[in-house]
Amino acid sequence: MKNSFDEKILDEAQDWIKANQKVVLATVIQTWGSSPRQVGSRMIVNEKGDFSGSVSGGCVESAVVSECLSLIKDNKPCKKIEFKVSNESAWEVGLACGGEIAVYIEQIH
Amino acid sequence: MKLKTLEEILKKKSSKTEFAILTNLENGNSEIYIPGTSPEGEFSKYTNEIEKFFKSKKNGVIENSEIFVETYIKPIKVIIVGAVHIAQYLVDFAKSLNFEISIIDPRGYFASEQRFPDIKVINKWPKEAFEEIETNSNTALIALTHDPKIDDPALQFALKNKFYYIGALGSKKTHENRCQRLSEAGFTNDEINSIHGPIGIKLGGKSAPEIALSIIAQLVSETYKK
Repeated sequence: MKNSFDEKILDEAQDWIKANQKVVLATVIQTWGSSPRQVGSRMIVNEKGDFSGSVSGGCVESAVVSECLSLIKDNKPCKKIEFKVSNESAWEVGLACGGEIAVYIEQIH
Repeated sequence: MKLKTLEEILKKKSSKTEFAILTNLENGNSEIYIPGTSPEGEFSKYTNEIEKFFKSKKNGVIENSEIFVETYIKPIKVIIVGAVHIAQYLVDFAKSLNFEISIIDPRGYFASEQRFPDIKVINKWPKEAFEEIETNSNTALIALTHDPKIDDPALQFALKNKFYYIGALGSKKTHENRCQRLSEAGFTNDEINSIHGPIGIKLGGKSAPEIALSIIAQLVSETYKK
């Protein structure tokens, strides 16, 4: 039985928008191997780089924030990003757990 | 995602209806889908696949497509009998979980709105109270009064209606007496043994929040066993 805990991220997204912030919604859309968060997990990012929620266990959040900031800057509607097993050249954006995830980011407009 | 779609999602979530969010990952279009209806436009040819996601209660990308489906199913109904101190902590813990709580207590001074803001509190005896709540095998019962007058009718209702989780607070002795009464009322041993009593997993704590934690932990564990 699916009884995922009720994330309040979408409610928070609405609050941010009401406060005149630009909001990008990031959603885990696919996972391979062991990944910390399930498909459907979410985080939101505003134009200042503040964020709430999570798409991993802290492994790729900073990379997602910078992708979201670029999306706002370039005024693009959406983008799909894949994160793979960590390696030395990209230590910051790797998944230490050895899994892979795909994250979809989209502006709320 | 359009702001209008986000607002509609939040409305659907608060009215506890089942729906899905469909997103075209290529062009960013998204819409809300209600099970049993036909999705519109670019999503229309994926009806069967979307229904499959609903049946398996999963989220994901439809194979060989760029369509992401996120399903929202109804939260599990949890009925607490006894608007006691432990119930206040149960409500707190359940806030971040996907449970919809109702509280039954005929004793008006316990079941006040001030003690339980934003929670459905039914100030009636269990028999009448259950007429106001729709229940099925996806419903859970937590009996906390350890007063046979209040707990027993609720436990009997839950057993008859095959709730997936039934727990009752009380010492081993209280529980033995309870089992005896249920046996005299005609319930089988299997039915009586399905009641979690004394309620909760063993944590060792005796305070209200600790007991609430042990109950909610057992409830989550039983929910995933289903």
